[in-house]
Amino acid sequence: MGTFVQLVIDGLSAGSIYAALALAIVLVNQATGLINFAQGGMAVLSAYIAYAFLQLGLPLIVAILAAIVASFALGAFIERFLMRRFERGEPDTAIVVTVGLLTLITGICGWIWSYNNLQFPSLFPLDSINFLGAVVSVRSIGTTLVIIGIMLLLQLLFLRTKLGLALRAVASNPQSASFSGLPVGRLLMAGWGLAAVLGAVAGALIAPQLTLTPGMMDTALVYALAAVILGGMSSPIGVVIAAWAIGILENLAAVYVPFIGYDLKIAVPFILIFVVLILRPQGLFGRKDVVRV
Amino acid sequence: MAQAAGLKNNKWVRLAGILIVVVLLAVAPLILPEFANQTVARIGVFAVAVLGLNVVMGYTGQVSLGQIFFVGVGAYVTAYGVNNDWNIVLVFLLAILIPGIAGLLVALAAARLGGLAIAMVTIALPIVGVPLAKRLSEFTGGSQGTSARFSDAPEWTGLFDDQWQLYIVIVIGAATFLLTRNLVRGKYGRAFGIVKSNEAVASSMGISPYRYKVLAFTIASLIGGVAGFLYMVVVQYTSPETMSFGHSITLLASMVIGGAGSIIGSLLGGAYYVLAPQLTNLIDPNLTAALQGAILLLILFVLPGGLVSLPRLWRRKRRGARPGDPAQTGTVPTSPPPAPQNTQSEERGT
Repeated sequence: MGTFVQLVIDGLSAGSIYAALALAIVLVNQATGLINFAQGGMAVLSAYIAYAFLQLGLPLIVAILAAIVASFALGAFIERFLMRRFERGEPDTAIVVTVGLLTLITGICGWIWSYNNLQFPSLFPLDSINFLGAVVSVRSIGTTLVIIGIMLLLQLLFLRTKLGLALRAVASNPQSASFSGLPVGRLLMAGWGLAAVLGAVAGALIAPQLTLTPGMMDTALVYALAAVILGGMSSPIGVVIAAWAIGILENLAAVYVPFIGYDLKIAVPFILIFVVLILRPQGLFGRKDVVRV
Repeated sequence: MAQAAGLKNNKWVRLAGILIVVVLLAVAPLILPEFANQTVARIGVFAVAVLGLNVVMGYTGQVSLGQIFFVGVGAYVTAYGVNNDWNIVLVFLLAILIPGIAGLLVALAAARLGGLAIAMVTIALPIVGVPLAKRLSEFTGGSQGTSARFSDAPEWTGLFDDQWQLYIVIVIGAATFLLTRNLVRGKYGRAFGIVKSNEAVASSMGISPYRYKVLAFTIASLIGGVAGFLYMVVVQYTSPETMSFGHSITLLASMVIGGAGSIIGSLLGGAYYVLAPQLTNLIDPNLTAALQGAILLLILFVLPGGLVSLPRLWRRKRRGARPGDPAQTGTVPTSPPPAPQNTQSEERGT
């Protein structure tokens, strides 16, 4: 029982990281209709920026906040000077652009900071506490709580502020939004910036666990994409629930299903996807896309 | 210009061109040095892999990030069969069939979700494939990899190994290219094109987008299997690293840079896959990944049709510069970039 609770809470923490990245992907997708495969790469770059601030002697929390601000600027910059040109074109081309961006960012990180593993300090103490008879690490609980807090903030931003309303307007219909006088271009930049911020938080939270390498988020990106497919592109809540389910299930499967083990647990979400796609192609919570001819 | 086009369409000129290419391919392995032969053979291997990717992505418009997985499966099947002394023809057939079945299963699920889901599902193939290959060590030799020597030149030919291997690559590769060219130029190719440009129109014409996506993906995996077999012919060794995520991305980049939706583009893509890392390594080995990303983005910005569209662009520019041709002036530099898949059929001919 103790192991089980421990596995569930660790899974929840990993799932929260995937959820943050998946939400970033959904945010970009709702605004521009494309999938940003570079989202994980951008998160890694943010973590490296935080690392660089740390090297300058800033305290950890300040370094992470500075990296978050830098990531917002980076996301906005990428939207304006790289993606803007491809947003109205074919989605396939835009996807290839993001894949190129992923390669470029990974390459730049490797070039500046080398491909060796770097130690990144944790925001939370490495202690563990007793909870329902299980030993649970403070880091897992802290990670989960931080991500939940950020989700609530995002929810507030989107539902209770003018900026959020404008962002939603651009997402639902860019043309009408620009007719009603909204600065669509700048709002798209803000959307990409917010997505990059989400990625930066995910990167800073997962870096202590995985140690910092240029390819650190590749696996997390795959999990996040799986969560996006399972939850349905149009449902942020569905995506978060799917990400948590993936985090918990893969942890349980790694321990309780002998064939899967730790090395093959990445296959778990895809077995899930396989089943879900056969039974419910629009995702667990998504709506079916209707195309008007 | 009209003269050049006329010349190009002349049956005899085309026949002569094909004859020259065939003779060149037959003679080149005998006179080229060993290193050049090996490089050309590797280019052939990856040209076939890029060709497979082109079927699903360039012609059918479905982004696949997992093509390298099928190349890897083909290579592993070949190694396993050879090491168990199976008949080489049987090994070849299995090396094509098994990746094809794997591709069919993946496509049946992935193509159900419209749009970008195929890209999102196929990105998992290399990432799941590497640990899977390590785990199934009875078949794959684990992370050490496995080697299989079966492509040494037979005594009676009097050829060196590298020449014999290059001949195998040329014969099988040329057959694959020819079959694929006929496929994409015929009924199926037109159906793929409609699915790519507008799925709603396709279904209104009685062409099921789902079925044709699955078909294209399966054919791509079959061709991936051919590339895997050829990979073993040339390299004689494979490991989980063969199907890594990085290689999968490079393969995609090669396809776009060579020219999506183009047979010649696939050849150029294969050349890029093999030669570009050697060039970027010369500049700075640490910069290889960054340079490759930068090259891909640069191509998408300035030459969305890939390298294969260079001659057409040049021709159009020249025509545009000529006075009294209002339809052409100014269209090239200012028009929004077409998708990289748009390549006119005139460029596809050999």
